[in-house]
This record gives sequence, structure tokens and C-alpha cells, in this order.
Amino acid sequence: MVEDNMQKVINLASEIFNEEVKAWKEAGGRVIGYSCVMTPPELIQAAGFLPYRIRALGNVKTEKADSYLSRFNCSFCRSCLELGLDGTYDFLDGLVETNGCDHLRGMFENWQYAKKTEYFHYLKVPHVINENSLDYFEEEIRLFKESLEAYSGKKVDAESLARAAGEQEAVRERVRKIYSLRERELPAFSGFEATALVLVSSAISPQRFLELADQIITEREGGKIAYRGTRLMLCGAATDELELVKAIESLDGVIVTDSLCYGTRAYARIIDPQAMLSKPERTLAEAYLLDLLCPRMYEDYARRRDYVLKAVERSNVDGVIVMHNKFCDVHGVDNVQLRMDLERRGIPVLQLEKEYGSIADVGRIKTRVQAFLERIGVIESGGRL
Amino acid sequence: MGKVMLYGGIDIGSLTAQAVLIDGKRQFSSVHNSSLFLAKSIPVKPNPVDSAKAVMEEIFRENGLEWKDLNYCISTGYGREKIVEEGMANENVSEISCHATGAFSLDPDVRTVIDIGGQDAKVIRIDESGNLVNFVMNDKCAAGTGRFLEVMSRTLGVSLEDLGGVALKARGRVDLSARCSIFAETEVLHFLQRGIDVGSLAAGICRSMAERVMALVRRVGVEKEVMMTGGVAKNVAVKRELERMIGTRMVDSKIDSQLVGAYGAAVLAMKSGRSV
Repeated sequence: MVEDNMQKVINLASEIFNEEVKAWKEAGGRVIGYSCVMTPPELIQAAGFLPYRIRALGNVKTEKADSYLSRFNCSFCRSCLELGLDGTYDFLDGLVETNGCDHLRGMFENWQYAKKTEYFHYLKVPHVINENSLDYFEEEIRLFKESLEAYSGKKVDAESLARAAGEQEAVRERVRKIYSLRERELPAFSGFEATALVLVSSAISPQRFLELADQIITEREGGKIAYRGTRLMLCGAATDELELVKAIESLDGVIVTDSLCYGTRAYARIIDPQAMLSKPERTLAEAYLLDLLCPRMYEDYARRRDYVLKAVERSNVDGVIVMHNKFCDVHGVDNVQLRMDLERRGIPVLQLEKEYGSIADVGRIKTRVQAFLERIGVIESGGRL
Repeated sequence: MGKVMLYGGIDIGSLTAQAVLIDGKRQFSSVHNSSLFLAKSIPVKPNPVDSAKAVMEEIFRENGLEWKDLNYCISTGYGREKIVEEGMANENVSEISCHATGAFSLDPDVRTVIDIGGQDAKVIRIDESGNLVNFVMNDKCAAGTGRFLEVMSRTLGVSLEDLGGVALKARGRVDLSARCSIFAETEVLHFLQRGIDVGSLAAGICRSMAERVMALVRRVGVEKEVMMTGGVAKNVAVKRELERMIGTRMVDSKIDSQLVGAYGAAVLAMKSGRSV
């Protein structure tokens, strides 16, 4: 029997060193890991490497990482670092750090200090958007390209960059399509499935992802998932926790859209591959800085709020769950304001602070989500007098 | 016991398990005293399913009832889904909705419920129809929960039941600076070694607890009447501190405050069971 395509995606999403990456490595390919949504995978790909977005997949063990970082660092960063230190990520030939946040920097710098991967680059991203910061980021993109060229030993020419940009744009376009099918009145994907697809989109080669995604989109386009209950939106910090999404959806709710770093926020930007032929650095700088929806950016809250409000309206959302990992200051602060702004507009909000990946935490989260669903009252659970 | 139409609520907490049975032939709005329903509370067992089984079997045995007398049952608290899977309840509802329903059914004037159990603290707002309007729960920390009082009473050598009374009788009060249960214990030990009297420390502990809960209260706001439920409601000093901080007297739950969640579950069971 032919393996179900969606099941194949879930399997790929559930493993860090997945079979596609193994095949890439066996064929002599090199893999470069990045974590931050501000890293352009087009450049990594054009230089001949496989870009791989680092994830922790709910790993909760952080004994080794805690020797480098502290217990009051973000548990997602500690979980990723642990997997770097314990050998899970030994297939990575290089790392790209950004100043997404200080926890993330701590993760990358300690990882590199302990493991000394062959390639390491620090891509500095401005916190404000203006002409000067765009010039600065353009220069940073140029430096990143040069460092990749130095590592690969060959120049990144305009054609290969345009090709890579075209494929990465196709990946984003497919994810946007998947989200449009997920957000419609009768969703074609559960939140769990959509999260798995998003995770796989940055963990295998674009060509393979496009093959899989096209088949799945064709299979699902005319159908709908079985669901009843409340339509939810999930917002907040880095969440690659498939099990958490599954736990929330086990409670008569379906997550129809999100504003997550490992979610829509990584796929909103549109890049014209042809622009790579004339001014590649400027194009990438503009795409990655202007379309960046991250609470680490200063004076940009209104845009993030509007992005969420539009998604709520577009997806006909009944309630929004905003969450952040403990000690994540940027999302923690943003979420308070977001909660107040949504509530002011009559949109029910559940704000959650959680530890990354903790199984023990799932029960606690489920209690809150269940009460939230009972409060919204779309389900007929007898939860009301 | 004669022919009854029983509806059950099972509430498994972190320290105790409660079962409440109500007779569907009575209007629940008239249930204002404990003689109108059956209740049982036992210390929890390691497994919530075992706790549910034990507390239900005890309440049945004491009252000459059997499982088959139960018309409809709702589980809440820890392991509430498992209890449904094991066939002991028809459905599960979160403890937040159960406490809201329980408090509202006991007193329809209640708009704010402060429920503090062994590991959770919640502040729940309800509307004039008893619907859940908003709620907030403590984050992953024991500082504003019954566990804090349990740890502190042990440190002071006072029983948990007596802690509130000791605090009320104290001549003075030592304010604690640490909000964390672990560090607060260290701080209390330090004061004990300096010869500070137990009463003043008990008063400081109860105030510290109330302050922690007030942080949650402020997040959802207070509307009168306010009812306190859960085990910590039995601590008179914490309750009085909270009343002082909120600026209003709380209404009495009329039944054992620890039973309000299970009672709410039973009321919801009656509503669901009747519509089945």
C-alpha cells in the first residue's frame, strides 16, 4: 500500500534527522542550521547547502544545556541547545545565528563554543525599520553571502540565487495555500496537520516539499476535516510542539490559523525571483526586514496587532490563544497588549505562559483551554446553566 | 433511600477527592444547605481514577446506593477525561466552569469566585445568568496556592487547619519579602531562628498568600458578590486579608468550600442529564 502523503509529512515532521536529510547527507550534501525567521534560506540554498530550520520537537531534557544557559533562559532555546550538545544535530555542518533575542544568541554561541561546527555566521538584524537600517541590513546580507561563498569555495551567481529564490517562494506560496484551505469555513487541514506541513517545509529540500505539498493540496482541496466546536487562533512564541497543538485540538476546538514564528509569520513575505538578477541583497533585505512580524522589533506593535486582527476576521475565529514560553520577555510583553486590544474588540482571549514541551504542563494547559472553550460556549457540553 | 433521580459530580483535586450527589427531583435553586445533597471527601490516591472510584463507592456505601442509581455524572479536576473513559462519568467539564456553576447555584448574586486549591488558584467572573465571563489562573508556581500554606504550616509547626486562627490571634505581623514558596520557607526559617513568634509569622504568611491571589484578582477585576471556594477558603486569616484588600465582605458558600467544585459538576450533570 502506498504511504499516505499526509502521514509521510507527519512522520517527517516528527523526526529531527529525517530520512530526506539523511539521503541528502549520504549523497555528500552539507546542511546549515538556522532558527530565526529573519534568516534567508534562499542564500543558503543558492550556495549549495540544505537550509534546515532548527527545532526541538517538544524535547524536555535540558541537563547539558543547563550547564551553559540557566534555568531562567527560554526553555525552547535550552531544548534546542540540548539537542545540539547531545549529538542529535551532529548532521549540521554549520549554524547561522541572529540577534532575534538574547536567549537565542545564548543558544547559538554556546552551541558553537561546545561543538565547533565547520561553518558559523552571525547575521545581525536591525530592530527598527528605516532607510539607514535597510542599508545596514543590505550590507549584512552581503556579508552573509560572502561568508557562505567562502565556506562553499565558489561564488553565488545571480542565476542560482534566482533559482533558489524561486523555489523558496514556491514553498511559501504552497504554505499560504495550505493556510487558505485551513482557514476556510470547512477546513481542509487540522492545526496539527498544518503545523506538521510548516515544520517539514523548512526541514527537507524545497523540491521534495513542493512534490509532497502539491499532492496533499490536490488530495485535500475538495474535502474537509471532521471537526466540531470552536475555531481558534494560536499566537505567540516559537512553537514547534506538535503534541501541544494536538492536545488543544483534542478539546472540541480546531486551530484554523496562527500568528506564530513557526507558522504564518514565516510565510507572509513575497519575493520576486527576477529581482535576484539585478539587486539581490537589497531585495532580500527589504523582504526580510519590511515583512518581519516579530515582537523583537521596536515601534512596530500596531502592525503585529493588525496582522492578528485581520486573521481573526478572515478565518472567522471564535477565540484567540496567546502564549509564550516562560522567560520570553518579547512575547510576554507583546501578549499583554495584544490580549487587551483583542478583548477591547470583544474577541475572547486566553493568555498562557508555559514551559516549552513539558508533558506535565499539557494537563495544566488543557484545563485552561477547556475552560476557555466552555466560556466561549460554542460547544454544547452542558458547561453552562 | 427511596426512589431517587441522582446526579453526580466528581472533583479530583491535588490533595482531596470529592463526590456530590443531588436528587434531581429537587430544584437546584433551592439547594441552599448541605442537608439537601450527599457529599463525601477523601484524601486522594496516586491515581485520579482510583480516587474517583474510592470516593464514589464510599458515598454509595454510606447511603445504601449503587452505581446504577446514578442518572448522569460529570467529572472535573485531575484525570477528569480518564474518569469518563473508565465509565464513571458521562462527560467531563473543567473545574473552572464547575466552581462557577457551584458558586452561582449556591448564591445567584455571586459574580466573582476565588477558588484556591492545593495547586491551583483561580479567579472566575460570571454574569447574572451564571455564564463564565472570564477567568485567570495562577501560572506554573505554587506560591499562591494551598501548597504554600501547607509548606509554611509545616515549617512553623502549626497544623494547616490552625494556621489561619493562629494568624488572626497574633499580636504583630512579619512581612515576608519572598513571593516564592521555596525562598519564603528559607525566610521564615531565618525569622524563627531570630526568635520571632510563630503568630506574627503566620500572619505574614497569610498576608503574603492573599497578596499573591490579589495579583490574579486585579487581572480580571472584582464584581460583587464575591465567594471564596476550595480548601484555602477555610483559612480565616487569608479570607479576611482578601476581604480587606478587595474592600468587601465575601458571601458564605453555605456548604463546605471544598465541595463547591463537585457540587457544580453535579448541578451541570443534572442539567445535561435532563436534556439527554
